[in-house]
Amino acid sequence: MIEFRDVGKRFADGTVGLESLSLTAREGEITVLVGPSGCGKTTSLRTVNRMVEPTSGSVLLQGRDVAEGDPALLRRGIGYVIQQAGLFPHRRVLDNVATVPVLQGLPRKEARARAAEVLERVGLDEAMAQRWPAQLSGGQQQRVGVARALAGDAPVLLMDEPFSAVDPVVRVELQDELLRLQADLGKTILFVTHDIDEAIRLGDRVAVLRVGGRLAQFAPPDELLAHPADEFVSGFVGRDRGYRRLGFVPATALKLTELPTRANGDTAGPAVPGEWTVLLDGAERPAAWLGPDGARHELGSVYVTEGADAASEAAGTLRGALDAALSSPAGRGVAVDREGRFRGGVAPDDVLALLRPDPVP
Amino acid sequence: MRAFGYDIGELVVAHVLLALVPVLVGLVIALPLGWWAHRSPGARRVLVPLSGALYTIPSLALIVFIPILVGTPILSPLNVGLTLVIYTVALLVRSVAEALDAVPVTVTTAAVAVGYQPSGLFFGVQLPLAVPVLTAGIRVASVSAFSLVTVGALVGVQSLGTLMTDGFQQAYPAMVAAGIIGSIVLAFVFDALWLALGRALTPWVRARTGV
Repeated sequence: MIEFRDVGKRFADGTVGLESLSLTAREGEITVLVGPSGCGKTTSLRTVNRMVEPTSGSVLLQGRDVAEGDPALLRRGIGYVIQQAGLFPHRRVLDNVATVPVLQGLPRKEARARAAEVLERVGLDEAMAQRWPAQLSGGQQQRVGVARALAGDAPVLLMDEPFSAVDPVVRVELQDELLRLQADLGKTILFVTHDIDEAIRLGDRVAVLRVGGRLAQFAPPDELLAHPADEFVSGFVGRDRGYRRLGFVPATALKLTELPTRANGDTAGPAVPGEWTVLLDGAERPAAWLGPDGARHELGSVYVTEGADAASEAAGTLRGALDAALSSPAGRGVAVDREGRFRGGVAPDDVLALLRPDPVP
Repeated sequence: MRAFGYDIGELVVAHVLLALVPVLVGLVIALPLGWWAHRSPGARRVLVPLSGALYTIPSLALIVFIPILVGTPILSPLNVGLTLVIYTVALLVRSVAEALDAVPVTVTTAAVAVGYQPSGLFFGVQLPLAVPVLTAGIRVASVSAFSLVTVGALVGVQSLGTLMTDGFQQAYPAMVAAGIIGSIVLAFVFDALWLALGRALTPWVRARTGV
């Protein structure tokens, strides 16, 4: 648990970095600090590992004031991921990751063994371990940055805009990876970003900060989208927040429709004349649409009826259902289960019916 | 090997020691000063111009004045050595500061954040990453030292410069030429050694993207 108690920071030149921030990042959760530049989000992050010393108030880590003791020792117990990874260019990937265990006093051999484990955990294969950081793509470097932060086995991670320097596709991959790791590891993560989408995607709770480090709202993402505290927050979460919010609404009440299906490769025409047919592969996974004209069409995005893994909610979200219904050439979407097996169809009207009365309790 | 009435091997060894040792000593002195200049803009405003000014003092003047200032015997090789230390420091303070400036801030920030103490940060991260820029500075200092050593011959300190002064007195051009060529060759050899050392210490610099 990380607790900010009236933390203020006034820099030597008189500028106020933080006015008086009080918030608690709960154990085992991802707490995101989001806000425009100059809102003091990085400053607040850095008061936790004392790279910035507050001028008032205190920061408590697992109940202890971080101001006590040697800052370098404190930092070895806190994972830190920086923008653009900040890897040591003169050390091979393996030794970059082994840095913290070595600083913690582990013999080099054991530290490297530990580093190899962590690299595997973040999805980097052994061949990467002997490369120089300059030989990796931006996304790979960022993974190594995450691995380095995890290698010290710290219960707390600070992440300062870790994914903002990579392209959007890789960013989403890295975000998924982080969520997957977090489901396994249950770290207490304080995550700084200026990207509200990222905040909403990753955060168990999101703190929106205004300039000067004043807390505008601190709430779970769905609440932030449904009930922005004021103009500033609603402006910051943006115009398409209604659509974003659908990503948090489980489509429990959505009834799937029947759809004609046929084995993929079957040369016969549509199963029902004049209707769209879903072609299924050997494992019952939808492969393509067969149009009433007998031509094959792209499937479009599919609606996964369950959460991404067993731990998350049982139903998919309205956003997923709407995407599937609207992106299909057949006028209705294809629903699959977590393993990708065909479950039924999604009619746009059914999704819209769920949207019409406010579906949020 | 004897030539022109001298043991050339002895002259070469003397020349190398008299040039190399001051470069190493000067480097050791320049590291903390350069680090200070890198850290503090105030220190930089004093140290960099001051060290630049030191380099403008004529070498012969230094060699003659050092015995007066530090009390060394007037014909001691130490006078030449100290002179070269001063020149090396003069050249390297700026080099060290600039080499440390060239280390990316994200890297030093990350190093602090993972829990390096200041000494570990300097020797484990900043110094290794400063090597490419630093090597360039050391090469200039080294070439300069190998050529300035010869001035010591004017006050009787032996080096390949001795061949130049004696050859001049004896009006023996081949001897002068041998001294000049010998000191140039030595300067080149050690320049190549510094270059090789710098490359050996920085294998990551030549690592290609996307291997």
